[in-house]
Amino acid sequence: MDNLMNTVIQMAEGSEITLEIFFVTLIVALPLGMLAAIGRLSPIAPLSRLLEFYVWLMRGTPLMLQLLFVYFALPMVGIMLPDIAAALLAFILNYAAYFCEIFRAGIQSVPRGQYEAAKTLGMSYPLTMRRIILPQVIRMVLPPISNETINLVKDTSLIYILAMNDLLRVARTIVQREFDMTPFVVAAVFYLAMTFVLTWMFKKLEAHYGRYAQ
Amino acid sequence: MADMHSETMLRMTDIHKSYGRIEVLKGINLEVRQGEVLAIIGPSGSGKSTLLRCINRLETIQSGEIEICGQKLVHMEDGHSVYAADDEARRILASTGMVFQQFNLFPHMTVLENLIEAPIHVKHESRAEILPYARELLERVGLADRADYYPAQLSGGQQQRVAIARALCMRPQIMLFDEPTSALDPELTGEVLKTMRELAESHMTMVVVTHEMGFAREAANQVIFMAEGGIIEQGEPHEFFSHPREERTKAFLQSRL
Ligand SMILES: Nc1ncnc2c1ncn2[C@@H]1O[C@H](COP(=O)(O)OP(=O)(O)O)[C@@H](O)[C@H]1O
Ligand SMILES: [Mg+2]
Repeated sequence: MDNLMNTVIQMAEGSEITLEIFFVTLIVALPLGMLAAIGRLSPIAPLSRLLEFYVWLMRGTPLMLQLLFVYFALPMVGIMLPDIAAALLAFILNYAAYFCEIFRAGIQSVPRGQYEAAKTLGMSYPLTMRRIILPQVIRMVLPPISNETINLVKDTSLIYILAMNDLLRVARTIVQREFDMTPFVVAAVFYLAMTFVLTWMFKKLEAHYGRYAQ
Repeated sequence: MADMHSETMLRMTDIHKSYGRIEVLKGINLEVRQGEVLAIIGPSGSGKSTLLRCINRLETIQSGEIEICGQKLVHMEDGHSVYAADDEARRILASTGMVFQQFNLFPHMTVLENLIEAPIHVKHESRAEILPYARELLERVGLADRADYYPAQLSGGQQQRVAIARALCMRPQIMLFDEPTSALDPELTGEVLKTMRELAESHMTMVVVTHEMGFAREAANQVIFMAEGGIIEQGEPHEFFSHPREERTKAFLQSRL
């Protein structure tokens, strides 16, 4: 029993870095992805092209490679980042690209007629966006964002390779030291619990924003 | 109803509109007076929707003048059309309301919320001020019991009547209709046309693009036949339908029988 408590306490420390990566990535990448989607859909061709390239690059290469690149290659060209910042940079850039595509599809799914109806009612563009378009976009994007968020929970385990003492690395260290599989089970429970809470949260959100569609 | 002494609500003068190099409105002139119902008919692709959408700036014109309730939305300067500044244009267009073929209700809002959205957020009226009027309008279009439904829970005919009430809730002086019954099953067009007839009887000024010849004949004071971006023939409904002068009008009306 004591042993298990000890394991859990050590792993709770490991989960700190995992949670930090998860929350910071989500909080920064979501608005960034939204902005990127607006830029991607803007009539400014160079901006749109640049963002298209960015999305293509981020989605076309493994996150693992991007992590290694930021962690090991950037210092070679003189860019030194603290470990956690390097990992966050890679995660945020990667996830913002996925969110960008999700928001782009969501914005494009709102029919022209919605903008036109708002305009004929005298609504300004910002008011139309805030009151008419965004609520509909949110409803469209919630399911794919829910998917990506749950992927992110599991993707945080990739920082394992950066030797940053995340949940998974702490687990492996204990397993190797004490010849006891419990830490792996504890890790699995941790990931499952996160996923469970997130799934429940998104279900609530989807019900709230989807209440108008039969 | 309308007579020569009533005020001009809408005047369009020599309207030219092109998409790229294709001219779709080739010098349109028309005038609508207070309380008049103008029906615009014509084959598909003749420019009816474009004309209607130019009135409320959903499309912009290259040349010509548009005057709404005595105020210039567009005037000519050195051979070019000049639009009123954005704020001014929005103020002028506040006297127009529009009903679309596809209803375009806001799907995430209830019927009542659809009605009060613009009065509250555009005109800054209070809920207490606007709610009784919104409910009265729903009563008028026969949907008082549907106030808390979402659009997806209504039939097409009901949705279109909500769309009419939503436009009216902004207290417009001119109502524009772009084929309001074309997306509806035949058995649902009647209820929408009835609502429009009642609106006409209440002396609302209306411009209606329609394929419903019965409505044009009975509810309109003026009918315009358009083809290929121009007005081919124009007249009072009785005269227009019983004695069309132009061959193209005759052929079109024949095909509609
Ligand atoms: N956004 C657009 N871009 C290019 N051409 C258009 C556009 N909208 C309409 N047109 C063209 O303008 C002409 C008139 O269209 P429209 O006003 O919709 O006709 P109607 O409503 O009488 O059927 C058609 O030839 C149509 O193809
Ligand atoms: Mg049309």
